[in-house]
Amino acid sequence: MSSRAFARTGGALLGVLVFAAALALWEAWARGADSFFFPPVSEIGREASDVWPSGDFLSATGASLKRLAAGYAIGAATAVSVGLAMGSSPHVRRTLGPTTEFMRALPVIAVVPIASVILEDADAMRVAVIAFGVFFPVLVATIDGVRAVPPEIRDTAALFRLGGLARSVRVYLPAALPTIFAGLRTALSMGLVLVVISEFTGEGDGLGVYIWTQRFLFNVHGMYAGILFLGLLGFVLNGLFSRLERHMLAWHYGAIGEPVR
Amino acid sequence: MSLSADTSVVRVAGLGKRYSSDGPPALFDVTFDVTEGELLAIVGPSGCGKTTLLRIMCGLLSPSEGAVLLDGGPVTRPSAKVAVVFQDYSRSLFPWLNVLRNVTFALARDRLSKAERIARAETALNEVGLDDVGRKYPWQLSGGMQQRVAIARALASRPEVVFLDEPFASVDALTRADLQDVLLAVHAAAENRRVTIVHVTHDVDEAVYLADRVLVLTPSPGTIAASIEVELPRPRTQTATRSSPRFLEVRNEVHDVIAQARR
Repeated sequence: MSSRAFARTGGALLGVLVFAAALALWEAWARGADSFFFPPVSEIGREASDVWPSGDFLSATGASLKRLAAGYAIGAATAVSVGLAMGSSPHVRRTLGPTTEFMRALPVIAVVPIASVILEDADAMRVAVIAFGVFFPVLVATIDGVRAVPPEIRDTAALFRLGGLARSVRVYLPAALPTIFAGLRTALSMGLVLVVISEFTGEGDGLGVYIWTQRFLFNVHGMYAGILFLGLLGFVLNGLFSRLERHMLAWHYGAIGEPVR
Repeated sequence: MSLSADTSVVRVAGLGKRYSSDGPPALFDVTFDVTEGELLAIVGPSGCGKTTLLRIMCGLLSPSEGAVLLDGGPVTRPSAKVAVVFQDYSRSLFPWLNVLRNVTFALARDRLSKAERIARAETALNEVGLDDVGRKYPWQLSGGMQQRVAIARALASRPEVVFLDEPFASVDALTRADLQDVLLAVHAAAENRRVTIVHVTHDVDEAVYLADRVLVLTPSPGTIAASIEVELPRPRTQTATRSSPRFLEVRNEVHDVIAQARR
């Protein structure tokens, strides 16, 4: 094993150890404190192993993921399209700029009551809220990415006499993709937050609804089991996202001299 | 003018460019012709308006005065008849496409089948001495090889005029000599296609070594100070040509013109 590989394995091991130590600390403290609101990890783990495989919990997970996927896809696709137009044309940027700047300054959570009034269907409301929240980080990243396309690339595209649309899709989009991915990553975390928040309004199904319900039932263990699962879900989704990014941007990491893993 | 109108591909007439209304013009009353099949070098110090001139000639920039005619028609936007090689190959080649697809991209607007596109790209790569790198990405190649790809991409669309903007300025001296010879070989091979080459550089020796004729551009305002026929025999070689008395004579003449303009 090379010394670098050794250092990397060692680093990963240390990370796991720190995580384990944090859990152990919680366990020890919770046993000593004996608080209703902070049960020991081992008990939460036991609850989780009962709850997670149950049909209700799985269908709640499915419902939340479906909303996240729909909202994320709608928000991201719209943002990339609008961002490409705004990034490549100063005219479009001037026209849409004030509107998007204002909407971006709005705390996303403030949209929940508006959306729930406009969209009576809880599912549609949740998807809309997620799409709204996902839209802005991706929009800003796309505009920045397109505006940062090197002048040589712009000139080359102009010399190939591509039309506006072909230029945007075949040249600006790939050139801006590394920046767009940074926005997509932020948007993923945002999406996960918004699924849960939008589901806290109660009715229907979903992980947020599950956690909120356990809270009203004073089932603290169940609540923690749900929260723990959200953490795990976020971790897994981020991991999958990284793999997708590494695959899609292999050329970029190659070009900037980072090894493709 | 000694050139007859029917052999001139590019005609630059009374060209002027101002970037701002109160500043000095970047170009002032630039007039010259480029003959079909000619290898013309435009040489001048930094800031003399070389790049501005080239951008106007290939339709990327519009002039403030005068016009550029290509085959008799005014140039107002990039056309299929021209191709450009930029100095910064690492930024003008698309890093997300492999070498072959970078070259076929230049044929995006041509009505060709996929097989024809690939065949054309392979021919062009072959012309610049690149075989078996089609599946590599530009950033996996050395600077010199990347610039060869850029030249191949320019050739693939079979343009009438190829413009090169300081194409060899960011490679080392040995690679530069190598690329100069690639360009000479391309021009010689392309003779039957009558490809015209306009090569912009600040390297006087390079201009003399490559060109049939050297235009000397002097700054503030950018204007043509001299047009010098090189009259060195072809094929040219780095050793024999550069050590010939005629080579020294022409390069000294160019240097004198530039020095005079400085005074």
